[in-house]
Amino acid sequence: MSNIGPILLALLQAVVLLALAPFFTGMSRQIRARMHSRRGPGVLQDYRDLVKLLKRQSVAPEASGFVFRGMPYLMLGVMFVLAMALPVFTRQSPLSPVADIITFAYLFALSRFFFSLSGVDSGSSFAGLGGAREAMLGILVEPFMILSLLVVALVEGTTSIGALGSGIGNGYGQCPLAILLAMVAFGFAMFIEMGKLPFDVAEAEQELQEGPLTEYSGSSLAILKLGIGLKKLVVAQFFIGVFLPFGAIGANPGVMDVVIAVVALPVRLAVLFALAGLIENSMARTRYIMTSKVTWVGFGVAALSFVFYLAGL
Amino acid sequence: MSMSPLDLLLLSVGLYATGAILSLLLAGNDEKAISVSGVLGALGGVAGLAAALPVLISGTGKTVTFATCFSFADFVVRFDLLGAFMVAVISLMVVATSVYSLSYVREYVGRGAWAMGLYMNLFVASMVCLVVVDNAFWFLVFFEMMSLASYFLVIFDQHEEAVSAGFQYFLIAHAGSILILIAFFILYSKSGSLNFETFRHLSLAPWQASIVFLLAFFGFGAKAGMIPLHGWLPRAHPAAPSHGSALMSGVMVKIGVFGIIKVGVDLLGAHELWWGIVVLGFGAVSSVLGVMYALVQHDIKRLLAYHTVENVGIILMGVGAGMIGMATHHPVLAAVGLLAGLYHLLNHAVFKGLLFLGAGSILFRTHTKDMEELGGLAKRMPYTAVAFLIGAMAISALPPLNGFVSEWFTYQSLFTMSHDGIFVLRLAGPIAIVMLAITGALAAMCFIKVYGLSFSGLPRSAHAEHAKEAPWPMVVAMLFLAAVAILLGLGASVVSPVLVNVAGSLTQLGAVPQVAYQSLLMPGNPGQAIVSTPMIILLLLVGVVVALIIAESGKSVRMSRRHGGDSWACGYTQESHMVVSADSFAGPLKKNFAPLFNLREQLNPGPMLNSGVARSIRAAERAEPFWDAVLVAPVLKFVPWLGRQAQKLQHGDFRIYCLYVVAALVILLLVTVLC
Repeated sequence: MSNIGPILLALLQAVVLLALAPFFTGMSRQIRARMHSRRGPGVLQDYRDLVKLLKRQSVAPEASGFVFRGMPYLMLGVMFVLAMALPVFTRQSPLSPVADIITFAYLFALSRFFFSLSGVDSGSSFAGLGGAREAMLGILVEPFMILSLLVVALVEGTTSIGALGSGIGNGYGQCPLAILLAMVAFGFAMFIEMGKLPFDVAEAEQELQEGPLTEYSGSSLAILKLGIGLKKLVVAQFFIGVFLPFGAIGANPGVMDVVIAVVALPVRLAVLFALAGLIENSMARTRYIMTSKVTWVGFGVAALSFVFYLAGL
Repeated sequence: MSMSPLDLLLLSVGLYATGAILSLLLAGNDEKAISVSGVLGALGGVAGLAAALPVLISGTGKTVTFATCFSFADFVVRFDLLGAFMVAVISLMVVATSVYSLSYVREYVGRGAWAMGLYMNLFVASMVCLVVVDNAFWFLVFFEMMSLASYFLVIFDQHEEAVSAGFQYFLIAHAGSILILIAFFILYSKSGSLNFETFRHLSLAPWQASIVFLLAFFGFGAKAGMIPLHGWLPRAHPAAPSHGSALMSGVMVKIGVFGIIKVGVDLLGAHELWWGIVVLGFGAVSSVLGVMYALVQHDIKRLLAYHTVENVGIILMGVGAGMIGMATHHPVLAAVGLLAGLYHLLNHAVFKGLLFLGAGSILFRTHTKDMEELGGLAKRMPYTAVAFLIGAMAISALPPLNGFVSEWFTYQSLFTMSHDGIFVLRLAGPIAIVMLAITGALAAMCFIKVYGLSFSGLPRSAHAEHAKEAPWPMVVAMLFLAAVAILLGLGASVVSPVLVNVAGSLTQLGAVPQVAYQSLLMPGNPGQAIVSTPMIILLLLVGVVVALIIAESGKSVRMSRRHGGDSWACGYTQESHMVVSADSFAGPLKKNFAPLFNLREQLNPGPMLNSGVARSIRAAERAEPFWDAVLVAPVLKFVPWLGRQAQKLQHGDFRIYCLYVVAALVILLLVTVLC
């Protein structure tokens, strides 16, 4: 069967991203520690945390129900699907029937829906508030995420992620300014989705995005943490796959191309995580209720890129 | 025995009518009336489905004419693809609501439950007739029957709010039908016949066609509940009994959309580009504002009613894109846009019906619609919770359920429009897409709130504490609709070719574009986008299995899961008022989007009507003294004045009377001499 190749590739890339996820979240922690003038726990700390948590009992509050119980698995499952469908080593997606910008946006929404709902479902007031804030953040981020992707999609005439990446990979020929601005706006949306300051303090679990984590413990917390880590990688790779697909395997690859693609993957991710870490740790926190003031900037940039596209710039 | 689709349609309407009449005959015997009307309604629905599905699948309809004693009122039945589609939607919902009513209406035993059977069946029968009749006279007759029957459902509870909501509904419905009446009259005056077939062949001047379209658009738009004509909807739907709300929201507002399609697309051919833009614009605004207002509601049924406004907006966005495609002769855009609209029409009927039935089950067991009083119902009503969650996911357009598929087609049609269109469309398309994206995110938040507050956490009142699972007919009806929502999502590649044929029969632009290939969906052009819902679910299963395998790894050394105890509250004891409430959940949103909420106060027709009435009363008050001052008062003053002057003549002095006589003689003499 000719279909088996892409499916194996999809599984391979998802497993690689899953395996790398704790490394990159660990790297983020380490960067933060160094910028705070601490020594930090080392980049492998998140692997050690996972192993420890998997050995611990999972405790759930009396009020919690099946949504609370199932969410970590669904979260990881959705992220795994996205990791399978993304263009990672290649420019085209191995699973193009899932790799569509609208489908991706709504799969992110699926994970957000249950993540937020599990906060309310736990019956805890903190987790519930965290859930409400997570949903609110979705409302602020999703529109300009879609708008920025839409600009690129209109330039290329397709909403398929693989086709977008390969189109842009061949140069920013049409509307270069519009694509650059769309990249800035989408990067901003992805930055928020990665759970960064000033929107979140990912290590403080009563915070905005990780609020629903409050009641999780033991093995379910391990799965959830892994899922959230994978989400950060998926988001970063989404950005790379659409806007910076350089180094990925195009049509008719040689051995050298494959080697480059395999090396390029962690390097690009590391650069992106380091950049995000730098930006994050040089920012102050803002009050949650002010979030919309910041996200309007992202929306403004996306709108501007749309105007540039209309003008053909 | 094989029956033709038309026979089955007749059978279906006959069953509804029998249900209505028997309910009337059984007046006073509520228990029997409930069973009879429920069973006959469900059978009618099955017959309706059996009539509609062959027509949809074969793609060929049929028209029959019955002459009546009035020459203007030929009873023309046109069972075309659009009609069959609407009959299928109505029948599907009737099957579910009729089964549901078998238990739900027991709540009304002794309060005239038989009348509910009468009105429900009449309501359904008039809708079925309405969508297949092809003559303006009969169309309006059935339209009125539908409005009246549903009016009685709205005021069924007879309490003050219901009666007042019913009155508002009655007024707006009739204001709408007057506009429709005028639209049909204009067409009649040009064609000389009331048959729709003659309307189709009219060649009207663009301005005449535009007037007809606008009249019909606002007339049917009032029925569809689009903003700003939505005021009645959030009041009327909560007031009706829940299975009635499910039908009103799932089906009746769609008659409004159907009317817009019927007049704008079928009869007038959507020639003008700006018609489509108007439909798209009203749709986009309705969707965003509808969901935003929904978010701040406490009453679960009222919240669902606002979501109807939202979803009608989404449907209109698809229809608008299709009309734009017709006006610009873009066959793919026309067919995919209408497909998106029709698919969402069907989907919304299913998941909104499901959610209203779920809300009805909650109401049935807890006797409250206030979400602040609920909580913890997932443990007490597990089947209702699962069905409701599926409905909530579907309405939030989460993959791989049905809402996702139709919104995906809507996105894709708007994308095609933005990509291929002239400048105005390239500008309007992305704006509409962003509004749809905002709508989607808001709907997700809203249903996190609804499910979370009703089914999750701890019960917040004794009612919720002592709730138990709904009776089996209600559970069966809900699970049936939940299964349909799943099937319409997973089987999208089977459903969409059928619906695109319906769309193609309306656009009349040649070959219908390909929208499905094996399990893949595509908006006419696979290069633009493809999606496969079965693949999404399969991959999700793979992902979840991976997660389960990882969780399995530490199982040998860890203790088994513990479920119990309070949640963490910063070291304090958990108290019931600490948990998330409806207000706190939507609080940040209210603050962040304050201008849009203020807009509602300004746009709400209620206060506007009130202030209008107050102003006219004040004006009347001013007008009253005005006429007094101008007309009455002078007269009143003049009469005494005249009297006083006359008094002066009668002085009572004899000499002055003599003087009068002399003066009179002199004048008379002068007159005769001078002449």
